[in-house]
Amino acid sequence: MESARRSEALREEMELHLAEKAAELQAGGMTAERARAEARRRFGNVTLKHEESREIWMTRFLSELGQDIRYGCRTMTANKAFSALAVLSLALGIGANTAIYSFMESILLRSLPVADPESLVVLNWQSRPPQNASKQWEHVVHGIQGVFWPGDKGVLVSGIFPYGAFETLREENPVFSTVFGYFNGHNRTVAVRGQAVSASTEFVTGEYFRGLAVSPAAGRLIESEDDRPGAAPVAVISFAASQNRFGGPPSAIGQSILVDNVPFTVIGVAPPEFFGVDPAAAPDLYLPLHTNVLVSSAGAARMFGDANFYWIEMMGRLRPGVSRAQAQAALAPRFHQWVGATATTDGERAKLPALILNPGAAGLGSLRREYSKPLFVLLAMVGLILAITCANIANLLLARAAARRREMAVRLSLGAGRFRVVRQLLTESVMLASLGGAFGVLFAIWGVRSLTVLFSKGQENFTLHAELNWQVLGVTAALSVVCGLLFGLVPAIQSTRTDVIPALKSGRGAGSRHRTQHVLLVAQIAMSFLILVAAGLFVQTLNKLHSVQLGYARENVLLFSLNARQAGHRDPEIATFYTDLRKRFEAIPGVSSASLSHSSIINAGHAGKTFRGTMKIGSVTIDGARVLMAGPRFLTTMQIPILAGREIDDRDQPGSTPVAVISERLARTYFGNENPVGRRITFLEDKRDLEIVGVSADLRTGGLKQDSPMTVFAAASQTSPEGMTYALRTAGDPLRYVRNVREIVREADASIPVTNVVTQAAEIDRTINREITFANLCTGFGVLALLTACVGLYGTMSYTVARQFSEMGIRMALGAQRGAVIWMVLRRVLLLATVGLAISVPVALGASRFVKSFLFGTQPNDPGTLALAGAILLSAAILAGYAPARRASRIDPLVALRHE
Amino acid sequence: MGRKPKKNDSLPGSLDMLILRTLSLRDLHGYGIVQFIQQSSGNELLIEEGSMYPALQRLELNGWIDGVWGVTSNNRRARIYKITAAGRKQLAVETRQYAKLTLAIAHVMGME
Repeated sequence: MESARRSEALREEMELHLAEKAAELQAGGMTAERARAEARRRFGNVTLKHEESREIWMTRFLSELGQDIRYGCRTMTANKAFSALAVLSLALGIGANTAIYSFMESILLRSLPVADPESLVVLNWQSRPPQNASKQWEHVVHGIQGVFWPGDKGVLVSGIFPYGAFETLREENPVFSTVFGYFNGHNRTVAVRGQAVSASTEFVTGEYFRGLAVSPAAGRLIESEDDRPGAAPVAVISFAASQNRFGGPPSAIGQSILVDNVPFTVIGVAPPEFFGVDPAAAPDLYLPLHTNVLVSSAGAARMFGDANFYWIEMMGRLRPGVSRAQAQAALAPRFHQWVGATATTDGERAKLPALILNPGAAGLGSLRREYSKPLFVLLAMVGLILAITCANIANLLLARAAARRREMAVRLSLGAGRFRVVRQLLTESVMLASLGGAFGVLFAIWGVRSLTVLFSKGQENFTLHAELNWQVLGVTAALSVVCGLLFGLVPAIQSTRTDVIPALKSGRGAGSRHRTQHVLLVAQIAMSFLILVAAGLFVQTLNKLHSVQLGYARENVLLFSLNARQAGHRDPEIATFYTDLRKRFEAIPGVSSASLSHSSIINAGHAGKTFRGTMKIGSVTIDGARVLMAGPRFLTTMQIPILAGREIDDRDQPGSTPVAVISERLARTYFGNENPVGRRITFLEDKRDLEIVGVSADLRTGGLKQDSPMTVFAAASQTSPEGMTYALRTAGDPLRYVRNVREIVREADASIPVTNVVTQAAEIDRTINREITFANLCTGFGVLALLTACVGLYGTMSYTVARQFSEMGIRMALGAQRGAVIWMVLRRVLLLATVGLAISVPVALGASRFVKSFLFGTQPNDPGTLALAGAILLSAAILAGYAPARRASRIDPLVALRHE
Repeated sequence: MGRKPKKNDSLPGSLDMLILRTLSLRDLHGYGIVQFIQQSSGNELLIEEGSMYPALQRLELNGWIDGVWGVTSNNRRARIYKITAAGRKQLAVETRQYAKLTLAIAHVMGME
């Protein structure tokens, strides 16, 4: 910009010169044309002269930069301790920011690795809340396989549709070149050459790969002909799976595999970078949509014809030149008409789903919905830490500027331009920041790895992979430079504002520098307080979660899952199979009892086949109870007290009277003081009456954050079980028994993989993984912020004491007590800290509302947490101020007076 | 082309000195400086006019002269250069050196 301006000025000057010369020559009698030519000839080569001038600027700029850098290197090596401290703290700050940002980049900004992702759109719908006035579900959605999520103002948003809607939107589409559907097939048992493992699957329509414009790594991909009822079952596998299971893409083609015991032929391998359309999942296996009928149980066929059953998800690719808004305007009426015909009551018609199109370039939004807010909170925290670091270094630089005052004065008095000196100081600070940034990248690599570990504890197959790509590194580089300018600018300007004469005479420093230092310190203290409060709130949340009464055993329980149905076991044999396995597990030495249930207690209602039907006791409908299909000795294994009657045991066979055990709250709510044992509970959808045989104590099913809901245990053997989660009560470390378990399962049926092996404690911790991560990270951040602020405080106070060396000396000479001198210094520290707190408390009260949704059992403005954070901060400040204060109190008056 | 101006190779830096000297008398724009040097040398010194502009840039970067936008005698916008205090010091230094140099050459040439 500067050089462009200069270049333009030079051009204008040269043109003026030529014009004036020509005018002069013309006045001497030349023709206008000759005069112009002669002027040009005498001038010489205009372009060349222009170039020469530019070269002069550049050489000057580069040589000065070189000088500045050399000088900066000298200063840095001369102050090794300072430089090392600055670089280290910057590396931590910039590294933490880079790590968090790289996660944001991978979740919020990255596009799908397919051709032209910008033209992809995701089809969603939204409708008013489904409950009618009497809180009953009244909506065209009668059944779902998939998820809803809440939109603004309680509206229902979802991406699942009935198959009929897909067919309607697919035909003769004027705005989409392709519409394709898919749905999560979850984990299936996949056997390759007799080796069974659990693999994630995605059912896709015939247009899926064409619509995404993906080309195979080997073989061919699923086409429309493959996705018809009765077509030969084919499968496309992921690149990773082809390497792990077949030793490379080419050798996978044409191989036969079993998916839940149904034979499929591998026809192709997806490209290595492809992970489907959901960044939260990376399917191992892509199967044609209609093969769902083959691998899933009988209900699957019904899904295709039922216009009120919502399950298939859709994306479309816009035709060239069509905008998302145009597409929505074109398709919404078509969908409205279709869905209107599926409504049966006025209540349903009143809240029909409306089609909305969302951008699909980044794939589905599940990860964004889950992680964007936590990541923004973390980014705010690391941003604060970096700000504290910058303030700290600015402060240290200010203190150092005092030491360099003479140097600056000398340079200025020798005629160095002020801008030149500022530039040189800024070069130094940007160098520091760049070094910090470079080490920060190393720190970020480590940070990304550990964050991945922290985040992924919550999931079995974690697919969130942040990486330091060029975009992230670019942001880091920019951040480093900005930091360098930020913390360098104020000290640089201050140090060149020195009044030359007194500085040369080694007088006192400027008072304004002192003020700036205090402002920076107050800012540091205020920001540290914010981080401490956040850490306090998150730690308290975690403590509350850990002290929640589970109502069942947390320690010494081993959990693992297996799915016999996927390996071909059928009713009624499957119930016996599960029962026999339980007995064999119970016989393992060291295992005191073993049981099974359709899901772990903590995940009841979230995982496995869930029971959603209505339950009644007599004519009264039970509201809000969870059902857990449990095997024999479940209460014993989980150490849930039996309050009345008995628990489910081996007597409860498929043929015998169906039984249930209910929890205490359910018993109290619906039976009052009567004894429920012997009474009946009706499962309306199954048309079954279960006899209540016992009452258990209350327990927290389905997550720690909910109140203990009412629970119904139904005998698993008397239902039609799918996958089962076994629980073993063990002596000592539960994981020691994993080998025995695998051995037993292999003996029973080698084609059943044992999955999700985990201790009960870890399974519970998974559900509060975010809270654990936040508490750990923020504690770390809090310590870091506190340390940085203390270093700043210590440095500034040491400097102040040194500056007031003689004043202290005089006070001592005049008989001031040591205590009084210490107090004089500490008073200033306390004053700064108090001002910082006074600014920060209102900010903390305001800002903590943003993390309210992350808290449990703790209010955002929890006075205890605020007080504790304040107390920690004040004690740290006193600690940091004490050393300089002590030093001040040890000043020998004689030495101090001679010093002047 | 007998009049083709030659570069002042014989006395390196003398162009800078001439410019500084000119500007020490009055503030001028580029063309004015050229005219002044040629006229006051009795048209003996024919400098390559274009070379003056890199020289002006160099002098300005060194802080010896200062260019500001102004208006020439015949009312055209131009950068008018004026000498700075540092420039005057530099002129003194160069004048001394030049005097020494010419004196030395004169000695060698037996002209003294």
